[in-house]
Amino acid sequence: MLHIADVSFRYPGAAAAALEGVRLDIPPGGVYGLLGPNGAGKTTLISILAGLQSAVSGQITLNGRPLAEARTNEPRAIALVPQEYAFYPMLTVAENLQFFSGILGLARRESKAQIDQAITFARLEQVVGKRAEQLSGGLRRRLNLAIGLLGKPKLLLLDEPTVGVDPQSRSFLLESIAGLPAAGTTVLYTSHYMEEVEAICQRVAIIDQGQVLAEGALDDLLRCDESVVELVLGADMPAELAGRYQTTELGPLAYRLKLTNTAALPRLLDELAAGGCPVHRLNVGRQNLEQLFMRLTRRSLRD
Amino acid sequence: MNRLIALWRKETLALLRDRHGLAALFVMPVIFILVMTMALHDAFMPGAAIDVGYAIVDLDDTAHSQSLARRLNKTGSFRLADTVAQADTARQAIRDGRYALALVLPQGFGERLLAPAGADGQPTEPLTLMVDPTLNPALQLAFRNQTSAALGTLRADELTRKAGQLFGLPTTANAPERDWPDEIVSVAVQNDRSIRPPSSVQQNVPAWLVFAMFFVVIPISSILITERQQGTLQRLASMGLPFRLVLLGKLLPFFVVNQIQAGLMVGVGMFGVPLFGGEALVMPQGVGLLNWWLVAAAVSLAAVACALFVASVTRTTQQATIVGGVGNILMGAIGGIMVPKFMMPAAMQTLAEFSPMAWGLQGFHTVMLRHGDFAAILPDLLKLLACAAAALAAAIWLNHRHTA
Repeated sequence: MLHIADVSFRYPGAAAAALEGVRLDIPPGGVYGLLGPNGAGKTTLISILAGLQSAVSGQITLNGRPLAEARTNEPRAIALVPQEYAFYPMLTVAENLQFFSGILGLARRESKAQIDQAITFARLEQVVGKRAEQLSGGLRRRLNLAIGLLGKPKLLLLDEPTVGVDPQSRSFLLESIAGLPAAGTTVLYTSHYMEEVEAICQRVAIIDQGQVLAEGALDDLLRCDESVVELVLGADMPAELAGRYQTTELGPLAYRLKLTNTAALPRLLDELAAGGCPVHRLNVGRQNLEQLFMRLTRRSLRD
Repeated sequence: MNRLIALWRKETLALLRDRHGLAALFVMPVIFILVMTMALHDAFMPGAAIDVGYAIVDLDDTAHSQSLARRLNKTGSFRLADTVAQADTARQAIRDGRYALALVLPQGFGERLLAPAGADGQPTEPLTLMVDPTLNPALQLAFRNQTSAALGTLRADELTRKAGQLFGLPTTANAPERDWPDEIVSVAVQNDRSIRPPSSVQQNVPAWLVFAMFFVVIPISSILITERQQGTLQRLASMGLPFRLVLLGKLLPFFVVNQIQAGLMVGVGMFGVPLFGGEALVMPQGVGLLNWWLVAAAVSLAAVACALFVASVTRTTQQATIVGGVGNILMGAIGGIMVPKFMMPAAMQTLAEFSPMAWGLQGFHTVMLRHGDFAAILPDLLKLLACAAAALAAAIWLNHRHTA
């Protein structure tokens, strides 16, 4: 669907490039996660895709057409949901939706149908007459998302769509976003919350300092050497066992061990039980996204 | 067109819900017009009454002394507070602050009205003016001059009457009092052109209208900065809305707001000010009214464009309120809004030429006071339109730079 090839971009007067030789393939019908620390280039890439930045080198095509041409032919094909509450606080929910539908140039009947759909999708029925400034953080996020869905975009760019919301609203938003590909909208999702990305994205790219560090299907990226076991125990690991399995301590009662092969796992578990160490968590052959992210971006503070 | 209608509707709703913006646009100038018209009522009226009281101490009590007192009272500039028989009574009253001046007409005043001092070998007692020392010396002098003038007319009348009697001409009994000198119409001379000075209401309505129109900077910048800060402008750009349409979406609603302001201020001048005892605003008729509206339209374009420029230069609504508010007050101060330009010294009048508010006010005055035609207001219209175009171009350039 979206093909990004060797895209580079530098802000005027900036010493370093914000993006350098970025290559990504975003297939249709899924939620694609874009991860990176602050200043990695995520928002720049999203701005370019949303048509807010020009003077970009490289090639971007949407369904085989150059991005600019695709945007001209189908102005509603790509929609942006910015990180900020990008609507009018003094207008009601309904007035905001009507305004943005007017900006998209939707005809009256189509506009009404799409506004109704957006309200239902984001479950805003109870607050349509309320001014946006009176809404809670969760409702504002839902309104922000609902506006993005007007015009039925083929590609929805979501920039940190769950910042500052309570767990219930977050769960609702994630569920709703995960359901969008089934309705024909591909999603490009950026977030700092790894568990969110793990929960709803099928493919992921990790970028830092304007470069892609890893890209691919989430399962492939998280798969790792099956002889490495990560454990969280209920008591300290006996020293003899720790020495034998080349154990590294990851934290309090958390360990990483090296097995000779996967068949050795049952024996290890028996030995731990015999040593009075209950196993609370076990991870074999798969790392979590946060570990991968921290390893690739080298843990250093960015702000 | 759908897009523009959506933008106009949004601006209208946003403005209707901005109570502070509405107060700045409509309530503040109405209050200014009423207060300033009343406060400056006398300052714009040559020969108007001065609220300084005087007393006549008539020690002569003859037809002539009474005639002088009547003539002084008739000029009406100073307020006759009392007529007393004793100089000491008047002195005490001045000390008590009941009035500021007391004119003592000495005994024998009438008798020696036509006898120059010492001409017949007898001294003539002078008229005495008792004054409150805190009274402005210019007002003291003005009262002396009025007294001298009244005395002159009294002497002239008496002389005419006596000459008539001498030559056997018919004369009216009881020395009729004529109004003379004949009425003098004041004409303010300004920059080689003679115009009738504006009345208080004619100065204040267009002045505060221009001032109020420029106050669209508060609501315009408040909305535009919110749009920029909240990422709404980015969202609109990503929807393919060009920035020039965003600006056009603001121009028309605020142009309409300015026209409503104009209607309201003119209404206040015509019907509100007379209720408070002031003079009603006189509006031009026919083509003059069209020319008046052209000035209002040009001021509005300049005001909205300047507001968009301020909103583009500043980063926060607080900054915009300060820059816009203080900028307007400065433009108003040097532009003849607060202190009429014709009252300013020549150097300040030259400085006023650089204030867009002065161009607007000058345009209004040309139409309202000089009954100038389109050609006469054209220079001011062109200056205002050039200012609007420059401010708009700068706003577009600045916004382009922010997003680049």
